[in-house]
Amino acid sequence: MRVLLVEDHVELADTVATGLRREGMAVDVALDGSDALAHLALTDYDVLVLDRDLPGVHGDQICRSLVAGGSEGRILMLTAAGSIEDRVDGLSLGADDYLPKPFAFAELVARVRALGRRTGTPAPPVLIHGDLRVDPANRLASRDGQRLSLSPKELAVLEYLLGADGRVVSAEELLERVWDENADPFTTTVKVTIKRLRAKLGEPPLIETVPHGGYRI
Amino acid sequence: MKRRLRLPRYTIRLRLAALYGGVFLVTGTLLLAIVFLTVRHSSHSAVVSAQGTVARLVERQHGGEPPSPEGSLSVAPEGLAIQRVQQLGAVAVNVSNSDLHQLLTWSVVALAMMVLASIALGWVLAGRVLRPLQVITSAARDISATNLHERLSLAGPNDELRELGDTFDELLGRLETSFEAQRRFVANASHELRTPLTLERAILEVTLADPAVSAASLRAACERVLAIGEQQEHTIDALLTLARSERGLERRESLALDALTGESVSDRREQATRRGLRVESKLDQTPIVGDRRLIERLIANLLDNAIQHNSPHGWVEVATAVEDGAAVLTVTNSGPLIEPDELDSLIRPFQRLGADRTGHGDGHGLGLSIVDAIATAHGASLAVHANAAGGLQVEVRFAAPPARPGG
Repeated sequence: MRVLLVEDHVELADTVATGLRREGMAVDVALDGSDALAHLALTDYDVLVLDRDLPGVHGDQICRSLVAGGSEGRILMLTAAGSIEDRVDGLSLGADDYLPKPFAFAELVARVRALGRRTGTPAPPVLIHGDLRVDPANRLASRDGQRLSLSPKELAVLEYLLGADGRVVSAEELLERVWDENADPFTTTVKVTIKRLRAKLGEPPLIETVPHGGYRI
Repeated sequence: MKRRLRLPRYTIRLRLAALYGGVFLVTGTLLLAIVFLTVRHSSHSAVVSAQGTVARLVERQHGGEPPSPEGSLSVAPEGLAIQRVQQLGAVAVNVSNSDLHQLLTWSVVALAMMVLASIALGWVLAGRVLRPLQVITSAARDISATNLHERLSLAGPNDELRELGDTFDELLGRLETSFEAQRRFVANASHELRTPLTLERAILEVTLADPAVSAASLRAACERVLAIGEQQEHTIDALLTLARSERGLERRESLALDALTGESVSDRREQATRRGLRVESKLDQTPIVGDRRLIERLIANLLDNAIQHNSPHGWVEVATAVEDGAAVLTVTNSGPLIEPDELDSLIRPFQRLGADRTGHGDGHGLGLSIVDAIATAHGASLAVHANAAGGLQVEVRFAAPPARPGG
């Protein structure tokens, strides 16, 4: 899942991004409004975690321009102003969800995940394919009742392939949706991750390589 | 159930209507009295002159002799005519009396009707005149903290009521500004207080959520949280100082502004040197009266501000002096260029310029607001100027103390 975190407090942004990445999300960070708009112009994010009180371009403005642009991405607003009017304001601007600061990190993760499931085709919270069972919220994956120990990135790739529902997913798409902007597009990181994932998933092979196309389950 | 007779409220409208009626009654009565008296007088004098004519005729007939009772018995044809005329005169007196009586009756009836009509008209007119007042009343009733942006904008001629409406609008404008400042302050304060809380919580939770967390990263997280807590303490202290200084002075004592400034400067000299700043002070004797703790806070905030928002290898100049009997403290510093229109916002709570806001430096954004509040509590004025070459000059001018004999 591709997440853009817009937060003007550097340290808070870093901490939250670290936590979200550990949850298997591909997180980019923008420290102000104009930076956020630049990111949004380049990449389609599944979820935008937006601090409302931003210097430069205000969070409300970003929210408005995103909604006006017909973006599919979901918006989760974060704000220190937690009054009911503020929440109503934020939601009426087009935000999909609203979380007042200070928030519990687990709640932030759960909300981002819930919003992410609603982008594009709605996905169930637990993905099941044959004997494979993936529960992204609890970071659990099992095959034939056997627990698989997957890294966050491997889990995210598996989740994305299952979400594609049999569609062929190119390596570029995987890189775009599962890795953040710090990933080098010229590395074999996708290939390596898929290889490791295949080894962990075991027999019979689930991930199929489509020549010149990509991967599919 | 008992039904109580409800008297109409003694409103201005009712009073005005009654007043119109009363005034009309008085002037109407006066007018009628004048007309009545004039009419009576003129008809009376007509009768009198008619009687005079008759008397002269009688005289002429008797050849200048006064009429004797016998003479009058011997009725000549002329005498008959004179008698007729006399009878006619009596009839005329009667007729004029009954005319006057009728005139009086009708006048009173007409006056009563006109008074009623003028009360009704007065009621309508008073309603029209007072309508803007009703608008103002209902608007004042409807306006609360949530819709202070609404204005009456009374239309109509530039009269007293319009002036009242405009004054009311101006009052609303001032209220709105102060409510807005209050709202912004609360929003900023909650932002300033909640952001570190959020950060603390996120650091702890993210660290604890890592199953393979090392002792070193746990330690680092704890240290960060401690540091953030310390910063929060400063912010809360500053907020409390701000609230205290806005409440006014608790104590007044004689202080030497120059000595307090000198102490504050020497406390910060090392810090300034570490930042490569040159600090110069020119402290003339300046006695003031005030609260020592607040004045120390004011000086400290000004100096901290000058040191923090400075450029590398910059300078800070501190001066105290008595000008025209008023104690003046001036702190000037080099630093980044500040637009003149940004100056006002510097004094507002939690206003930091540019990138200062996003970082987590030492400032809590309350420094100059506190200086302003303390200055106001001391009856001093605060003037902030942007230097042409960058940096800021802040001048606090204490009101001149009342001259004491021999002092």
